[in-house]
Amino acid sequence: MTGALLFGTIGMVDVFLAMAILIVMASFVSLYRGIEGPGIFNRIIAVNVIGTKTIVLLVLIGFIYERPDFFDIALVYAILNFIMTIAATRY
Amino acid sequence: MSDTTMITNMLTIMLLLVGVFFMLAGTIGFVRFPDFYSRMHATGKCDTLGEGLMLVALIVYGGATFVSVKILFLITFILLANPTSTHAIAKAAYDVGLEPWRSFDSEEVAWLNTDNTGNTGNASNTGNSGEGRAGEDGGEGR
Repeated sequence: MTGALLFGTIGMVDVFLAMAILIVMASFVSLYRGIEGPGIFNRIIAVNVIGTKTIVLLVLIGFIYERPDFFDIALVYAILNFIMTIAATRY
Repeated sequence: MSDTTMITNMLTIMLLLVGVFFMLAGTIGFVRFPDFYSRMHATGKCDTLGEGLMLVALIVYGGATFVSVKILFLITFILLANPTSTHAIAKAAYDVGLEPWRSFDSEEVAWLNTDNTGNTGNASNTGNSGEGRAGEDGGEGR
């Protein structure tokens, strides 16, 4: 088994899980700027960034749990994130 | 595990690592940069590229199925929507009157000074362009 030589007992699900944990950590670091950032525009772009990270997180969760429902949720979340940003910048 | 599966897994892991590197770099830039516009410079490109790379990695992992077509739609939508929203935020901030950061301003820039755009003491540098832009957009009632 050549894959065991390279990856040991680590499967692809663990890789996806590690990437999801890294994305969650990056989201928390972005949340600092969202809370602390001076002005309303830093908060708007923090929400945009966290939403962008959440889309990848939803797709990764869909691959981890082998449930294709999460991709529809990710699509709807992307559209909602875009519309929310446009609405927040218009008014 | 056949060779094709191993090559697919290695390609997936490489693309995921590059994507998560871009995302972390964008996050560090988002926290560390001194200005709103430079923060947007960090996030607007790095997040789009990182997300695109990670979703391409998941397409490579998933193979040619219906799910991959959905993720392809997601990538297309994000490549359209994310620069658009970044541009909209930048234009809104510029119309409100947020000034770009300059290196000789050692103190914090005055955020959201709507009333005196272009007259804040450094008119010798960029006062003309900022004033003209604010004047022409003031007519729209923004």
